[in-house]
Amino acid sequence: MRLWRVILLVDLALALGLGAGYLWWGQQARRLAAELETARATAAVTAGGEREFHATGVVRAGLPDLGVVVITHGEIPGYMPPMTMGFRAGAPNILDSVKPGDAVRFTLRGTPPNLAITAIDKTAP
Amino acid sequence: MGEVVGLLARWVHLASSILVVGGAALLLLAGPSDRPTARRWECWTLSTCRGLVLLALISALVTIAAQTAVLEGRAGAAFEPAALARLLTQTQGGAVWLVRGGLLVLLAAFLVVRAELRDRTDWRALRGQVVLLGLLVLGLLAGAGHAAAVEPGAAAALTADVVHLAAGGLWVGGLPALALLLWLAARRAGADARPYAVLAARRFSRLALALVIVLAASGLWSAWIQIASVAGLLGTRHGQLLLVKLVAFAAMLALALLNRRVIPKLAGDAATVGRPAMRRLSRFVAAEAALALVVLAVVAAMTVTPPARHEQPTWPLSYRLTFDNLVAAPDFRAQVLVGSQVAVIGLVALLASLALRRLRLPVLAGGAVVLVAGVAIAVPPLVSDAYPTTYRRPDVPYQAASIGAGMALFGEHCAVCHGPRAAGDGPAAATLQPRPPDLRAHHVALHTAGDIFWWITHGRPPMPAFGDRLDPDARWHLVNYLRALGAADASRLLGPTIEPEQPWLVAPDFTFTVGPEYSRSLKDYRGRRIVLLVLYTLPASRARLVELAEAYGSLATLEVEVVAVPADAATDAIRRLGERPPILYPVVTDGARDIVDTYRLFSPAPHAEFLIDRQGYLRAIVTATGDPRRDPALLLAEAERLNDEKAAPPPPAEHVH
Repeated sequence: MRLWRVILLVDLALALGLGAGYLWWGQQARRLAAELETARATAAVTAGGEREFHATGVVRAGLPDLGVVVITHGEIPGYMPPMTMGFRAGAPNILDSVKPGDAVRFTLRGTPPNLAITAIDKTAP
Repeated sequence: MGEVVGLLARWVHLASSILVVGGAALLLLAGPSDRPTARRWECWTLSTCRGLVLLALISALVTIAAQTAVLEGRAGAAFEPAALARLLTQTQGGAVWLVRGGLLVLLAAFLVVRAELRDRTDWRALRGQVVLLGLLVLGLLAGAGHAAAVEPGAAAALTADVVHLAAGGLWVGGLPALALLLWLAARRAGADARPYAVLAARRFSRLALALVIVLAASGLWSAWIQIASVAGLLGTRHGQLLLVKLVAFAAMLALALLNRRVIPKLAGDAATVGRPAMRRLSRFVAAEAALALVVLAVVAAMTVTPPARHEQPTWPLSYRLTFDNLVAAPDFRAQVLVGSQVAVIGLVALLASLALRRLRLPVLAGGAVVLVAGVAIAVPPLVSDAYPTTYRRPDVPYQAASIGAGMALFGEHCAVCHGPRAAGDGPAAATLQPRPPDLRAHHVALHTAGDIFWWITHGRPPMPAFGDRLDPDARWHLVNYLRALGAADASRLLGPTIEPEQPWLVAPDFTFTVGPEYSRSLKDYRGRRIVLLVLYTLPASRARLVELAEAYGSLATLEVEVVAVPADAATDAIRRLGERPPILYPVVTDGARDIVDTYRLFSPAPHAEFLIDRQGYLRAIVTATGDPRRDPALLLAEAERLNDEKAAPPPPAEHVH
């Protein structure tokens, strides 16, 4: 076989090898990212059973017609980042026990995302 | 010690990789020849290349070992196989070095092959293969350097670097081989190869011209990415190294130009004519190659210094040029304009003289004189005092907390002369010569944050130095306060409606807390939401807050977030707003003090609303002394106009004036 043909073959093999290596590298990075994503998702909804979360926040409004308390809350570990949102009150007295501006500690119970406040307590004034 | 070894290894590695590429490329360029001297040259060049590949492999190992020691933070790691393996398999740089090592071994194999090269195609394929692999080895070096760490836009930076390395390899690496060929051919015994040497020199010269242009363009591009400013060029180690590199490069270019003029003299009957010229050319090319080694040493040093864009520049001169001067003194505009036009005429004359055959010298001299005169007219109005910290980026961000702290410090240390509101009317002001200036005035914005920091630190007679009384953070707080004062002065141009596509005033960042844990800053909204910052006073503002609460659904649809800040900074602000109707936008319960202090500079009214666009620019200010109610439709219309805008570039993270 002529030498230039050998070189051409070597170059083809090299291009294929480098290309494959580069793609593998990218795939590896993507696979790791995807794994991390699924791990997070499964951690969030572990087995889909009933769960309980504890959080603190400040009451913004009570909406008795809807049976909802709007709370600006800190991070709810393992469930959601800090935000302002309405939570279903698990019992009528929960709505009555707090007023806007109250700093509260509360408990959420249920199967995510169907959660309701089962207990709410005022913290320091 | 370890650093020096690492630097040396990088230099040796870069130089040997480049010399292999250039040597092989010159062989390919000159083409196969059966003259004995040419054969001998080819033989020598090839064996040198083999040695260089070995050297490149060894220096690569040393570089990796040194890098491991740096990354692991201990010298011993350089000799631990486990640590070395970690670097090679778990970092991108390591993987790149691994691939390069493999390619170098392959390259060595092709250099060792001793085929019968009677066939020209085979010969070209073999030499071309060495060039190709060499370029690959060299280009991949970019993947383990500063360019790979540029974020975003790594692709552009890598491209510039790869092109630069390749062009540098082909040009610089070919010089020693060319010098050797010319030297061999210039000897009495080398007469047989003289036409071959002349041909090689001509081809190389033509290629070199193109390569130098590519080098300059890609180098400029890289510098734009990695250095990006005059302050970075003059004021950081990285930039200064680049200047040294440019000086050495200029010397190389001068030699190269001289050499280009010698090449035509090589022509003639090859056996006798041109020998002295050829010998001289050989020496000059060798000198060019020696300079190239200096350039490569500087390049190696640049790869181990952090790029200028990551460094705080220390301005080395006592002056700087800035067009901001013309804002303060419009009278000088005509002078600068005329001067710059004169300079352009001079420059055109200079360039034209290069194309002229007759009258070249007079035109050249005349052009130079006109150019210098133009510069002398245009530049003086642009000169401004400068200090080592002039281009320093503030250590403390431009934030309400810092501005508030600066305001308190100002009252304590500065107000006695500068006045409680910085108007230059403090109790002690009358005794001073010169009088303290009005710091609220626009001219303050002409100075960089670094200028002001320098004056506070070192004083500016009759002002004393505060460097030993206030720690650096406190001095930066003062700088931020003064910048806010300047911005507040400028904000008088803002009305209740936005000026479409005209963002120019950066809203000071602030951090706030709603309730016990929910904490955010203005920056968190950047790129996501328009923010309406409302400074309110009860009871007058209640109606307006209710209005906003009712419109909150529509505002949210238009991606507007309302942030309400009680002007009295009450911590029970939410409770005071009462139950009905529910107010669901963030009401600041902690951090209000600094926000109020800062934004009151922009508007002292009891109720003020600041519309801040997605890029963090303050776009409109609405104030009210009486009833602050206002048709929410107006606000919605403004939000729609902001949503229709093309996204402006975000302000620099460290905003300076």
